[in-house]
Amino acid sequence: MRKDVKNKRHTGLFVLLCIGVFILSAGCSAVFKMVYTPLQLRKYSAAWNEKVGTVYSDFSYGEKPANKFDLYVPADHTKENYGLIVYLHAGGFTTGDKKDDAKTLEYYCSLGYVTAGINYTLCTEQNPDANVYSQSMEIKKAMPLVVSEAEKLGCHIDRMAMAGGSAGGCLALIYAYRDAAEAPVPVKMVFEGVGPSSFYTEDWKSYGTDKDSKLAATLFGTMRGETIDPKIFGTEEYDEIMKPISPLLWVDDNTVPTVMAYGVYDKLQPYLGSVRLDAALTAHDIPHEYIVFEHSGHGLQNDNKQMIEYNKAILKYLDDYMGE
Amino acid sequence: MEKFWSKKRMFILIAVSFCGSITGRLAVRAVLNLLLGGTMIGGNLL
Repeated sequence: MRKDVKNKRHTGLFVLLCIGVFILSAGCSAVFKMVYTPLQLRKYSAAWNEKVGTVYSDFSYGEKPANKFDLYVPADHTKENYGLIVYLHAGGFTTGDKKDDAKTLEYYCSLGYVTAGINYTLCTEQNPDANVYSQSMEIKKAMPLVVSEAEKLGCHIDRMAMAGGSAGGCLALIYAYRDAAEAPVPVKMVFEGVGPSSFYTEDWKSYGTDKDSKLAATLFGTMRGETIDPKIFGTEEYDEIMKPISPLLWVDDNTVPTVMAYGVYDKLQPYLGSVRLDAALTAHDIPHEYIVFEHSGHGLQNDNKQMIEYNKAILKYLDDYMGE
Repeated sequence: MEKFWSKKRMFILIAVSFCGSITGRLAVRAVLNLLLGGTMIGGNLL
């Protein structure tokens, strides 16, 4: 009888132990998955210290509180000319900050480029008038000051690349495709991930725009900062209204070389838009790398192999188009 | 105590720990896929 009770107690304890071990293993492996960077991707980041470069924060380029940029300047001041890489932050045009990309900006600075992160007025309750167009115009306004401040810090800029992720990718494409002719120095290339490049109702299905044209008019009208009549979808008039924020509609024979990465299952912006952009760049014979993450969404989170490919392509394009 | 740590129980505990690790990784992937889009199979291992 006593032996039976003891056995039952042991079994109960063992079951509890199994539950504990399961929870602990699951928790540890979840944390590990979230924080661990694979070895092959670690080389695309840099240890940052004063021997690598210096960060100069919060230069103002306008009257609005968000009109600020940071400059990352390489420690080596011996070069006659420097290339500038502007990396614009993500956040769905409504959140985010230039500091979010500090690691990326540090990495490209460690390669010898002056890098800049620019904040722009986000579309929030406090700033209901902000939209993708106003943000793109703020970026355009910032650029001459970014170049002149770098000059004051001892780095003469003679070429630049635009870059960004998501909303930042969209704004980078807009500047590189729409505003390059007015840039203070030649824009040589652009690289970006998951940035929206066009606004067609049939592409933005995850928001229901293919079924509800009023919703589509509200969504795209808010992004553009214009009132859109749902009746004009599919017409040239719609393209004309959306052109100022649609990188796709600016692609021509003079478009700059482009490296872009997109996830097939993206829920936040349509993968189909990137297919259109790839086709347009191909049609105009523009050098470009279109890296498709077959198993990923907006975070490009499930395809490390493609992430390595994306980083390699960026470095190759920087060598080819941003070299001295 | 010697009886408590039988070979069978050790094996079960290792198997449970392995299942927990897989579940943890899959849970992170599932949550990210839910938020951002993506597949549960293919690409990175888990």
